[in-house]
Amino acid sequence: MTKGALILGLFGISLLAMCRKAAPFPEADYDQRLTGGIATVFDESAKAFTHAVDGLNSRDARVHTLGDLAFEQTFVAAPASVNGGLGPVFNNVSCLSCHHNDGKGSPTLGQNNSSMLFRISVPGQNEYGGPVPVPGFGTQLQNRALLGSRAEATVSVSYMPFSVTYADGETLELRRPTYRITDPYTAYSGTAFSPRMAPPVFGVGLLETIPEATLRSFVDESDADGDGISGKANYVYNPVTGQRQIGRLGFKSNTADVLHQVASAYHQDMGVTNYLFPNESCAGQPQYVKLSDAPDLADSTVKAVAFYLRTLAVPARRQVADPTVLKGQDLFKQLNCSGCHKPVLRTGIDQTKPYLSNQRIQPYTDLLLHDMGPELADGFTDNYATGSEWRTMPLWGIGLFERTNGTAFYLHDGRARSLEEAILWHGGESEKAKEAFRKLGKAERQALLRFIKTL
Amino acid sequence: MKTLLLTATAAVLVLAGCKKDDAPATTDFQTLKRTVLVDFSTHVALASYKDLRDASLTLNASIQALETAQTGINLTAAQNDWKAMRGIWEQCEGFLFGPVDVNEYDPYMDTWPTDYTQIDSLISSRTPLEVTDIEQIPLSLRGYHPLEYLLFGQGGSRQPGDFTPRQLKYMSSLTTDISNTCTKLYGSWAGTPENYAVQVAQSGTPQSAAYPKMQNAYLDIVDGMAGICEEVGEAKIKDPYDARDPQVVESPYSGNSWTDFENNLRGLQNVYLGHYKTHGLGLADLVAAKNKALDTKMQGQINAAISSFATVKAMPFEQSILSAAERSKIQRIMDALATLKTTLEDELRPFVLQYITD
Repeated sequence: MTKGALILGLFGISLLAMCRKAAPFPEADYDQRLTGGIATVFDESAKAFTHAVDGLNSRDARVHTLGDLAFEQTFVAAPASVNGGLGPVFNNVSCLSCHHNDGKGSPTLGQNNSSMLFRISVPGQNEYGGPVPVPGFGTQLQNRALLGSRAEATVSVSYMPFSVTYADGETLELRRPTYRITDPYTAYSGTAFSPRMAPPVFGVGLLETIPEATLRSFVDESDADGDGISGKANYVYNPVTGQRQIGRLGFKSNTADVLHQVASAYHQDMGVTNYLFPNESCAGQPQYVKLSDAPDLADSTVKAVAFYLRTLAVPARRQVADPTVLKGQDLFKQLNCSGCHKPVLRTGIDQTKPYLSNQRIQPYTDLLLHDMGPELADGFTDNYATGSEWRTMPLWGIGLFERTNGTAFYLHDGRARSLEEAILWHGGESEKAKEAFRKLGKAERQALLRFIKTL
Repeated sequence: MKTLLLTATAAVLVLAGCKKDDAPATTDFQTLKRTVLVDFSTHVALASYKDLRDASLTLNASIQALETAQTGINLTAAQNDWKAMRGIWEQCEGFLFGPVDVNEYDPYMDTWPTDYTQIDSLISSRTPLEVTDIEQIPLSLRGYHPLEYLLFGQGGSRQPGDFTPRQLKYMSSLTTDISNTCTKLYGSWAGTPENYAVQVAQSGTPQSAAYPKMQNAYLDIVDGMAGICEEVGEAKIKDPYDARDPQVVESPYSGNSWTDFENNLRGLQNVYLGHYKTHGLGLADLVAAKNKALDTKMQGQINAAISSFATVKAMPFEQSILSAAERSKIQRIMDALATLKTTLEDELRPFVLQYITD
């Protein structure tokens, strides 16, 4: 062998070595408990949703703490030396009073721990493509007010029970809510009314970091693959960037940005003005009294709360190797629940946030809109979302709602009192999966529920 | 309840003989783990909540006496009873988990800040002020702080004879409302349906729906300790300190802030030692059985944090944050709390994860 041939040979080998394709890390080798990747916390107590991600530097940890403290703060009537600016009309008085333990709320109305708000509109689209406010009421109904002021209206709910029968003859009682608006402070002309219960707030930093291309790759508006599931992205105006962006948060993927979510919640839910929403929510209404030009809330507080939410860790899964759980996990896939509740996604690379960057996460959502059928429809359109479309609810942490909220309620308005009820409410694109669940035997249904409880 | 007490007594008797003198190796660690939870439930949680309920009833009676006769003696008695109850509650904050959290009893008693703008408009309105009416008003107008605002006045300036009939009615209904909440809180631990004392004591057994694993109960206890340490060191003290603003101090009307903070730490200590007014076995015994050095460190740091308050108590908190000389002492308190919190999170929590795996 000549020297030249040897060199050529070596070169060839090294070329071949370089050409070997990088195989993906086998799925089975990942620790299935790590729901949020590196941003996972091992806690199954009532406080499971309240932990910071690991790896914050001391400055970031302090900002997280400040956001945490602000999240708990009760607002009071202005003028006040501390936390003034509540209302005059509002839904509740602090972030925490709706998002109990950073988790889901309760579907009661007008009480101190009630977690409901009401989106309202008249037909059409505003200049950004969003819902059109109801004259005199805006796009959210505030059902509470300071003493001496008048709430926009009173909202009440009644539930009508009905039964669903499984294929094996067993029945389950569901309850269908009917909402009534009474005692409006002036003539009410709203046409769409959408009651919504406070969702959990952890993990939103990870959801925000998922590349837009990933979400777009799930879009299948004309159902080209014929599985009955379409999936549509919402595009919404983001006042933080001044641009129209893909929506990820909110029940209709109607918010693009955690900061926007925080600022609008302060503004609409509590009546607390801030730099993104400097005008009182009730400006133009009779109870509006202009006390000050300055926003009620410091810019740094709004930003600290957004940072707090972005850096809340996701609780780890439990009992991942239990045979019944594994059986339920298979059923989740076989019934194509996973068609929308995508088990595994990967966050994008963001070197400014190493604690969220490039993580394999298990949010069980595609963040897209799906038609959920007439039973769940609220008739409320929001940008590209129709009146029967909802964002796929992330299922991570759902098995802990009983711990974090005492009594757990599910779905956008808390009508479901158990996971089983929640599944049976599914319709539209999820009708097929729901029907398949209804036809399962009892043991299989229990296995599926058992699996969901480990999320 | 009776069974629980019997179990506790039996366990105490069994362990009493071998508590301190024997080498840790001979202590039945398995039994000790259970006893510490039983003793926490009975000697600390139940005893404290019972005391809180009783103190709320005492306060209610003294407010009613004030309503009947606005004398200096009655005013001072009511103020002292407020402080006595506050002292117990602040100790209860050493274990803010379970019903107080899940059933949200805390905000019904201890919402802050005080909404004095709305309180003033409530008092000057014609709205009825019976207990059932108080139950309908926002939480920032209920609990300890609105009562403190009226009972002590701005800057603690309240004099007998200052009160209007509507203020007295409001205060009387407020204290009834508070004692109703305290009664519910105690009931959640002591009786059906929750029986939380049993849930904690029997964690890891089928009798405990709240705690499928014993480890979960221990983590709630340890996280509760770290939580109050953080709240005092990084919020209650640090916020007014950083802002140099006396107006953002909690309990400003009674001048009770330092006592509040110290009692928070005493509550933490109660949990660690397993005692309140009576003595049981505590985390201290559990830790000492496996890691004497950690127990010594924990006890030392808790004592250091508590005794650090003695250096500042001469001046009310809301004034001392403006004094350069006092600020350096306050900084040392926050340092002591930060040290303790680090030990709780980086050593005690891992200890629990290592040794209590069932």
